[in-house]
Amino acid sequence: MHMATVLTINGETKSFDAPPEMPLLWVLRDILGMTGTKFGCGIAQCGACTVHVDGKAVRSCVLPVSAVENRAITTIEHVGSTPAGAKVQKAWLDLEVIQCGYCQSGQIMSAAALLAATPRPDDSDIDAAMAGNICRCGTYVRIREAVKQAANGRQS
Amino acid sequence: MSGKMRILTSVAAIAIVAAGLGVWIIRGPGPLDFAGGTKVALADYRAGKPTGVPAKLEKASLVERGEYLAKAADCMVCHTKPGEKDYSGGLAFKLPFGTLYSTNVTPDKDTGIGNYSDQDFLNAVQHGQRRDGARLYPAMPYTSYTYMTDEDVLAVKAYLFSLPPVRAKAPENTLSFPFNQRWAMIVWSAVFNPDTRFAPDTSKSPEWNRGAYLVEALAHCGECHTPRNLGFALDNRKRFAGAITAGWRAFNISSDKATGLGNWSDQDLISYLSLGHAPGHGSASGPMGEAVDHSFSQFAPEDISSIVAYLRSVPPVPSPDLPATTAPVAPASHKDGVTADARGKKVFASACTSCHGWSGESPVSPMATLTGTWAVNDPAATNVAQIVLSGTKRHTPAGALSMPAFGSAYTDDEIAAVANYVTGRFGAKGSKLTGKDIAEMREQTAD
Repeated sequence: MHMATVLTINGETKSFDAPPEMPLLWVLRDILGMTGTKFGCGIAQCGACTVHVDGKAVRSCVLPVSAVENRAITTIEHVGSTPAGAKVQKAWLDLEVIQCGYCQSGQIMSAAALLAATPRPDDSDIDAAMAGNICRCGTYVRIREAVKQAANGRQS
Repeated sequence: MSGKMRILTSVAAIAIVAAGLGVWIIRGPGPLDFAGGTKVALADYRAGKPTGVPAKLEKASLVERGEYLAKAADCMVCHTKPGEKDYSGGLAFKLPFGTLYSTNVTPDKDTGIGNYSDQDFLNAVQHGQRRDGARLYPAMPYTSYTYMTDEDVLAVKAYLFSLPPVRAKAPENTLSFPFNQRWAMIVWSAVFNPDTRFAPDTSKSPEWNRGAYLVEALAHCGECHTPRNLGFALDNRKRFAGAITAGWRAFNISSDKATGLGNWSDQDLISYLSLGHAPGHGSASGPMGEAVDHSFSQFAPEDISSIVAYLRSVPPVPSPDLPATTAPVAPASHKDGVTADARGKKVFASACTSCHGWSGESPVSPMATLTGTWAVNDPAATNVAQIVLSGTKRHTPAGALSMPAFGSAYTDDEIAAVANYVTGRFGAKGSKLTGKDIAEMREQTAD
């Protein structure tokens, strides 16, 4: 028997039963039914499962749920209500960044965390923040453009 | 006696004295000689009970006591090949002069130790001699186990004999000449095996004596953490000063303030031994990770405290190649701090930052924090490269946290570059590894 786990996700308190070592991603998708966050590689190497913990982009597939109690978790379902997340989502729509879309929840989460910390990123900042998010369709050029547009608030 | 004979006799006498002196110099002091107090036979020691099991197991069955002691001696890790049955042997020890395979110590009569009598088992564990009379190589740390009491060794035997027999024959050793001459170990053993049981030191506390027994006889810490001498035996003049074992660096665990355990708090040491992690000191990986998972994490709390008390007393020996102070937290922005190695930075950005951050303080878990660890402050970057190659996994009561192995994802040059970047950014002095160094490390640790 283990105690119920309590997490703060998107500003709401969620209580559920899960072993402490269960990755946050499994809790989100399988227990809480929040399937916007995607499973890609399972070893923190593709970025598809990116969420924010205390505003920082982290890979939820390797993060034991015991490590994030008492910390603020934000997922793709809610990032649009943060200022940076809203800008990123608008730019993504304006430039039609998405192709198949599977990696894009993670791309948007990484981009939103980048802009929240670095409002005017240059190319090297974008490299440093986005290099861990890979895209099989190769939308990298549009991702870079959209990050810049979100930062500048205008069409490029 | 003729003049000729007299000269010959003198030469022989001088040779014998010189050889004896040579042996005496190379062998150096015993592991507990530094304590300097009065040693008494165990039977004459009344202040406490340094041997055996902790109090809560005092009334347990022989097999249960043996299980505790077998874990304390960490028998399983070496006597089990990954993926095979526990204690069935076959683990490869890659040495510069060939490969040794550990033996099957399950009670199988043909391929294991099922035919061993009590005396046979004592001979192997304390004297390094197999049932058939052949000598063991010192990969089996019998020069440490020799300090175990007969009672404790036989409890371990009872535990091993309670396990299901497994039929498994280890591959033949592939040692080259002259190392394949097992008989030569008779000489080695005569010189380097103290072949004596633990003798308590009356000038020290019962806790210290228990710690000494656990560290020296059972946990055999020195086998990895003490440098070796010309004869490939432990050089106790540099006791616990650290050494490279199986391609990993076992760091300095002497009481040296700067480069040993001198500035670790008791709580740090307790946490590191029992959980494999101490805040600001990193997480146990590689062989030490195994030692924590299978051995130290199973110790009774009072035994961990005794180990700490004992380690505190080991004289300081500095590691001159390590910095006097570890590097502080790196800047939060990728633009500040060390940016020299562009290739290393590229690998770091894509594979490492999401867990380790640009500052070295992990956004995920303190267990993944790089700042303050010896691994990143070692200018040789040995363990950084090893962890990148083979990954790591820490089990704690709150769950496991793991880092994947990148050995097959990146080339030797890329792994060298990222290790150099990591030690440069998060450590006191960046490493200068090359792809060739990484290729050699792969050789040392490959199965």
